[in-house]
Amino acid sequence: MSRLELNRVSAFYGDAQALFDIDLVVEPGEIVAIIGSNGAGKTTVLRTISGLVKPREGTLRYDGRDIAAAQPWSVVASGIAHVPEGRRLFREMSVQENLMMGAYHRNNAADGKTDLERVYTLFPRLAERRDQLAGTMSGGEQQMAAIGRALMARPRLLLLDEPSLGLAPKIIETVFDTIREINAEGVGIILVEQSAQLALETAGRAYLMENGRVVKTGSSSDLMTDDAVREAYLGL
Amino acid sequence: MTTPENQKPLNNLFILIALAVVFCLVPLVTQEAYFLHICILALLFGALASSWNLINGYAGIFTFGHQAFFGLGAYGSALMSMRLGLSPWLTMWAAGLMSAALGLVISLPVLRIRSIPHIAIVTLAFAEIVRIVCSNLTDFTRGELGLWGIPPFTSFLLPLVGDVTFDAAHKVAYFYVVILLWLLIVGATYWILRSRFGFGLRAIRDSQIAAESLGVHLTRYKTLVFGFSSFLAGILGAFYAHYVLILTPSSALGIDIMIQIVAMTLIGGIGRLLGPTIGAFILTLGLEWLRGFGEYRMLIYGVLLVLIVMFLPKGLASMRLGFLRRQTTGKIPT
Amino acid sequence: MLSMPLPLFFEQIINGIVLGSMYALVASGLTLIWGTMRMLNFAHGEFYMLGGYFFFLLISSLGFSAALAIPIAISLVFVVGLAVQRIAVHPLLGRPQWEFSTLVATLGVSIFLQNAALHIWGERFKTVPYFINGTIDIVGMRLSYQRLLILAVAVIAMLAMWYLLRRTRFGMALRATAMDRDAAMLYGVNVYRVFTMTFGIAAALAGLAATMLSSINSISPWMGAPLMLKGFVVVVLGGLGSFPGAILGGIIIGIVETLGVITWSSQWREVISFTVLILILWFRPWGIFGVKES
Repeated sequence: MSRLELNRVSAFYGDAQALFDIDLVVEPGEIVAIIGSNGAGKTTVLRTISGLVKPREGTLRYDGRDIAAAQPWSVVASGIAHVPEGRRLFREMSVQENLMMGAYHRNNAADGKTDLERVYTLFPRLAERRDQLAGTMSGGEQQMAAIGRALMARPRLLLLDEPSLGLAPKIIETVFDTIREINAEGVGIILVEQSAQLALETAGRAYLMENGRVVKTGSSSDLMTDDAVREAYLGL
Repeated sequence: MTTPENQKPLNNLFILIALAVVFCLVPLVTQEAYFLHICILALLFGALASSWNLINGYAGIFTFGHQAFFGLGAYGSALMSMRLGLSPWLTMWAAGLMSAALGLVISLPVLRIRSIPHIAIVTLAFAEIVRIVCSNLTDFTRGELGLWGIPPFTSFLLPLVGDVTFDAAHKVAYFYVVILLWLLIVGATYWILRSRFGFGLRAIRDSQIAAESLGVHLTRYKTLVFGFSSFLAGILGAFYAHYVLILTPSSALGIDIMIQIVAMTLIGGIGRLLGPTIGAFILTLGLEWLRGFGEYRMLIYGVLLVLIVMFLPKGLASMRLGFLRRQTTGKIPT
Repeated sequence: MLSMPLPLFFEQIINGIVLGSMYALVASGLTLIWGTMRMLNFAHGEFYMLGGYFFFLLISSLGFSAALAIPIAISLVFVVGLAVQRIAVHPLLGRPQWEFSTLVATLGVSIFLQNAALHIWGERFKTVPYFINGTIDIVGMRLSYQRLLILAVAVIAMLAMWYLLRRTRFGMALRATAMDRDAAMLYGVNVYRVFTMTFGIAAALAGLAATMLSSINSISPWMGAPLMLKGFVVVVLGGLGSFPGAILGGIIIGIVETLGVITWSSQWREVISFTVLILILWFRPWGIFGVKES
């Protein structure tokens, strides 16, 4: 059984249709990238999976269960954690409070403490800054905290929206190393990236979106050698 | 921007004129004083709600202090006619200008604010200041004891018709005046909406940022619409003063007036030319019809407000116009 | 004011703080609702009014002691707050123009409750006796026990709120919702439940203020509206959404009013605070202590 399966999913913002007949599959433990230009609907796919947007048509299955109508707070409890675009940390909470919010749905303080240590081991920088207000940190530190907060939810599927946005190349490298590390522990990942190069290097498979539709899909290496993709998205 | 006003201007104008004609014919059928009184109040509030609709429904600025301009017009005209001995026909316009001036002043802070709740608070606080000042200046206004002895409109001789007299027994003359005022206000709204100015107003309502990028001068438009809407409210207040002949701060400046305006506009349809008038008639006649519920009037208003925003957010006028539009779209290409 | 003897002056300052602490309770409810839901609650004054009536009925009709009547009255107002949110506000959230429609809906609730109170309990003003009689003299100041008790209750209520917001799981969820609604939902917070609870808590705070002030001010169907407007003045002064701002703003308004009433006549009290409100929104819309949002 696939971890996640979207079947002919359509979604709307008001009267404007944002997604058309999206088919997408994530197998346990794989990294899948969604690439495409700005406004192609990549973020909406993630928002639909995590329950912020309700699909109007199609099915959305997670471990075989239909989650199309589920509210975001129950989606995260079932094991999907979403790191939204722009990190969206709780700016006036400390780093540690932000991380603890990631474990909010479990309501188990002891588990929370164990996971906290794990995140601090993964991101030593966050341990140094645990009492700092999240809003006052640098972009890279905020991205680490956002990923850390998602890990606190103990996800089996992680949705990452533009993790490289606004970060210096060196920081991007660190962040993506960590993403691979997390994946190595068996967490499935959907990676939305505007930088197609980076996404295809990281993911095993990828979907290319244009105007709310999936227009191409295949293994990363196939897409990397696809002429149209190379020209439009890799700038080669 | 596909509002019905844009699509079917002639239709609206036709309904407006037809309504005015029907109103004018009413006294030929009945001159029963109580019935005319109810109709006068309905038209007065229909016109008042229309003047508010201009700011709220078209420019999208939710103000909550329209009663201040109505009450200022009422007290202004009453006091000028009493103290200076001027004819109410003159003081009415002077009072309108006073209200307009005050409207321009309060538009200054409102112009700087974009958040809907903040604008509501500022305008409400302003109206409360006006009410409290009015009730505190007892030497001048007699406060809550009530200002009485307000002269009615002066009588005059109209060729072909004869003497037109205004007193409690002669409601017909008042009725025609209020029809004229109503036609003036709704007609002006109609004309404004058809003009470039009206286009700009609706652009503000739909998106302030887009309107600015289209070159709509936000500040000037808002100021103008504020001043004009206050002017209209002031004139209506003056009419009210010379009609009921006694004023108290809570009856002419109280928040109840604002609540009625909101309820009427919402029931009829916010941002619709005839919405406020429809709402005013429904509420005024409907509540009179349910006379037994008279003392529960405000209670009913409260429930209505909740029900309308929940189940009929676009008002009754939208249902009717929507129905008409469906009928005509096949015939008239737009 | 300048000719006032110094002890009397400080006595008035303390009276102002007592009054202001109650304004702060009302205002902190408004600010909580604004902070989490970004809406204004026009029915807030009626929560206060109902608190006063519930308290009065428990004491005078059922013969309860104040110590018992206060928590019961507050609990009843809390339930009313939950109900109002669920019935009149919740269905509108997320719909187009919800900012406007929630304002109108709470206005409708306010009119309804005010007139319902009028029909049920009549126009006559009600009063309850002081909980404790007697005064204490401290360095020439004469302070009544009742007012000192009010101050103590206000401090305890504020500390309890601080604890709730900073140290409990629900408080975390509430603050997270206020900072970023989407992110809070994504990490397991049922924001709709937070919204409903926030309304209940805000109502309870207003109810508490009413029980405290009922022995000083009288109880009537119209007692809520002026206090709601006063609450708006306070939250605007302190910056909408800021809890400490509401406390500080409340105390400032309380002191200014108490001193202002000595200097001018009491009938100008509201004019002073509303003028302050307009001026602040005119020149510093984010409040005196608030931070400008980008």
